[in-house]
Amino acid sequence: MSAGGSGGGANAAYPPQTIMAIGAVGGLAGIYLGHFLPPMFSFFGGLGAICAIVWGADAVRRVASYGLGTGVPSIGMIALGMGIVAALFGLSVGGIAGPIVSFVAAAIIGAVIGVLANKVIGMGIPIMEQAMVEIAGAGTLAIIGLSVVIAGEFTYGAVIENVVANGYIALIFIIGGMGILHPFNANLGPDEKQDRTLSVAVEKAAIALIITGFASSLHEGLMAAGLNIAVGLVIWTVAFMKYYGFVKRDAHSVVGTGLLPSAEELQ
Amino acid sequence: MEPLIGMGVLALIGVAATIAGASEDLESDVGSQSNPNSQVQLAPQMMFPHRIYNKAVSGEPPSNALMCSVGAAVATVLISEFTLSPLFALVIGALVAACVHGTFAVTSTMGRAASQRRFKQPVYLDMIRSHTPVIMGYAFITTFCILIVSYLMTVVLGHPFPLTMLAFIWGITVGAIGSSTGDVHYGAEREFQQFEFGSGLNASNSGNIVRYGESGVRNGYDNSWFCAKFGGPVTGIAFGMTVFLGSWVTTVFDPAVSLTRGWFSVVAGVIIVLILIIWNWKIEVKARNAFGPYKEDKTEEASA
Repeated sequence: MSAGGSGGGANAAYPPQTIMAIGAVGGLAGIYLGHFLPPMFSFFGGLGAICAIVWGADAVRRVASYGLGTGVPSIGMIALGMGIVAALFGLSVGGIAGPIVSFVAAAIIGAVIGVLANKVIGMGIPIMEQAMVEIAGAGTLAIIGLSVVIAGEFTYGAVIENVVANGYIALIFIIGGMGILHPFNANLGPDEKQDRTLSVAVEKAAIALIITGFASSLHEGLMAAGLNIAVGLVIWTVAFMKYYGFVKRDAHSVVGTGLLPSAEELQ
Repeated sequence: MEPLIGMGVLALIGVAATIAGASEDLESDVGSQSNPNSQVQLAPQMMFPHRIYNKAVSGEPPSNALMCSVGAAVATVLISEFTLSPLFALVIGALVAACVHGTFAVTSTMGRAASQRRFKQPVYLDMIRSHTPVIMGYAFITTFCILIVSYLMTVVLGHPFPLTMLAFIWGITVGAIGSSTGDVHYGAEREFQQFEFGSGLNASNSGNIVRYGESGVRNGYDNSWFCAKFGGPVTGIAFGMTVFLGSWVTTVFDPAVSLTRGWFSVVAGVIIVLILIIWNWKIEVKARNAFGPYKEDKTEEASA
């Protein structure tokens, strides 16, 4: 594999269990807070989506370190593909337990796809099954979280009316999917670092919160939308500055301008 | 609707789609997105550090779908919540989309360079500062034109899909056509100009991309300048034809008038596809006869 790292497991400062807990617990907590609190606080749904997207990006990072390379974008798309099916299924049958039902459904879909990928297609990636379960769960929580931002709640009728019927589901699909796939894709290379990758995940998820927050003005009024956008902008700024700090820390050199390094300098 | 107005709207959609296709291809070329990206990514690992923008924002279809759906979402909110005129709303939507795309471009080029620390690839800030506005500019044009196409289809031609969904689909389409048509002209040809034309890409030359331009170090501007001569316009024509011919059959033979006319539109579509297949086949045969397979020149034969 030329571009996708060493072809083995990924080194990580934060263990997968920690990120998984942040993603699942934070994601569900944010979704329920956004649902039960007044529409003013729908940004909690966005915070839940940020947790879920960070988790998804970390899972992509772990599975893609086995040399997926150009397959990284595809795995982000499949995450949200599984997520939409699971989210709409769970919300339609689950009632108040909708997000949890969706989450479980996503885990089952992810496990089936993971087994298919390894056993039938024969990809032979050791953590494929677990990673697909995680990615499906993260994608589902990201979709429900961002839907809560726009609709203010996660009841099936509200989501269908305010998110699906007017086409914003397409926006959520792609912006959530890019949030999960872009961090590792953007930092692909042998010297990729987990904290730098995850800072991009936070930054991209904050953009998702800003855009869906703007769309929330349709149903929640300008105050709620303004609060959503403000929270998103603050998180985006902090995350981007963190990311730039990590780039300066990790890069060989960050120069204002300059010619290419000479052959001697490369030795 | 009057058939004449329908044809006029269709012509406008075709023009907007042609511009969108051309700018989409040039946007991806400035940042070396998609297909040519793999060699830009590989170059530092083969001891060829460069000053070419490494915009690894997934493939072109998802990144354009993102731009277009962000633009459409912002525009629909502005139209319905803030009762802004559609033209202004589409412009502001495209502007927001271009800014979002700019953040994706910056994080990817910085991240990819930083992840090549061991190969001593520097992060050139002046290159990022100068190229990102160009990328955003092209992204703005693409998004705006796609939004015009989608808006005219929903509002004037009465397409049943909502604007955001339609923009998402057209975004994927323009990205796919830009990737399949446009990348050909900034792949093996531009990146490997120092090797004989038509010789293919030998594995030993992997990563050995052209890094010096006509004057100074080559960058993304030089690549978009090269692609603007043929690759960009041909992508525009491909996408414009796809959009125009795809809608033309149902505008001329409107299925809403009668079922028979609906079947006429299907037949017309099949005839168009057949004509294009035969035409392409003729071009390929002619090109093969004219240029033939790659021939080794005499010095190479002597050395071999």
